[in-house]
Amino acid sequence: MGIEKIEIKEDKTIKELIDELNLSSVPILLELDGEIFYPDENYGKILKAGDIVVVIRIVAGG
Amino acid sequence: MRVRRLNKILLYDEGMAQALNIEGIAEYLRKKLGKVEVEVRGNPFALYPLQDKISDYARRIASIKIQDATRRMSLGPEPLYGEIEYEKRRILGKTRAFGVLYDGLELQRLFFELIPEEERSLEFVHIFFTNRLFATWEESDKRYHARTSVYGIPSVISTTGLVEAPARPREYYLLKQQYEMLGKDLLELKDRFKGIFIDYEDERLTEVVNGYAMQAVFYSLVGDPFCQDKGCRLYNAHWQEELVLAQLGSEYEFCPRHAKLLEDGEWALRR
Repeated sequence: MGIEKIEIKEDKTIKELIDELNLSSVPILLELDGEIFYPDENYGKILKAGDIVVVIRIVAGG
Repeated sequence: MRVRRLNKILLYDEGMAQALNIEGIAEYLRKKLGKVEVEVRGNPFALYPLQDKISDYARRIASIKIQDATRRMSLGPEPLYGEIEYEKRRILGKTRAFGVLYDGLELQRLFFELIPEEERSLEFVHIFFTNRLFATWEESDKRYHARTSVYGIPSVISTTGLVEAPARPREYYLLKQQYEMLGKDLLELKDRFKGIFIDYEDERLTEVVNGYAMQAVFYSLVGDPFCQDKGCRLYNAHWQEELVLAQLGSEYEFCPRHAKLLEDGEWALRR
């Protein structure tokens, strides 16, 4: 539901990954190499094949 | 179920309700998660005492107020001077937030920046307690919905949200209309429903928040803060009666599945 690990198969930007996963309107954070960040502040960042990205979905309660 | 490792739990109080005992919550978490360190950090803005930084945060908080619950907020015009000054006083603890609704995701984003970079990790559970009321946009019905909490980095729990977000019994709203039409005292109505829902400065607030803090812990542990079991403290209550049952009235604290996860303690990084 909230936290999912993804292995990158081929080089792509964060924006391309987000579009591919249909997450552009979903509130998330990403973790890469121990660093956590908001994807929209790093759309141009290149992910390399073999990178492990953790998608952290923000969940609201109540 | 994949269980992540936890290193430390950090509690922040960004303007909390007077009835909330944050040290009590820390003690509860220590009891439940004995192998994980729990630290009370206090006001997160105190980490940035510089006046210009406080002014910047105040301006940004003023810009995430929701003016109309049926229109999705966009970061538009610069907030007014008075609005920024109000938020500055609010940050410095010189006034309390009432009657203002904030965008919960934007508030969380701002709080994210207050976390030291070296602690922005899933191994750290950062929990911000606030008395600001916040809401998140629902695309399905195109309106904002008040929330008790948002779970992520950090998790944010609103004491005002615990009062306002879960709906009160339908009968309460019907009677409230009648009271208002007849000009009767609404305090009398509240007395009629005393104990049925959580109210401001409710003496049960700390006990209720213990359960919401555990939702934040389970979010970090397994990626899901919630449980389908209505008697489990991880139940995502949308009605006050559900909240009171899950947090105060159930015969057990956690369902067997979540209780076992806690007992196993395999997730603790520090031993």
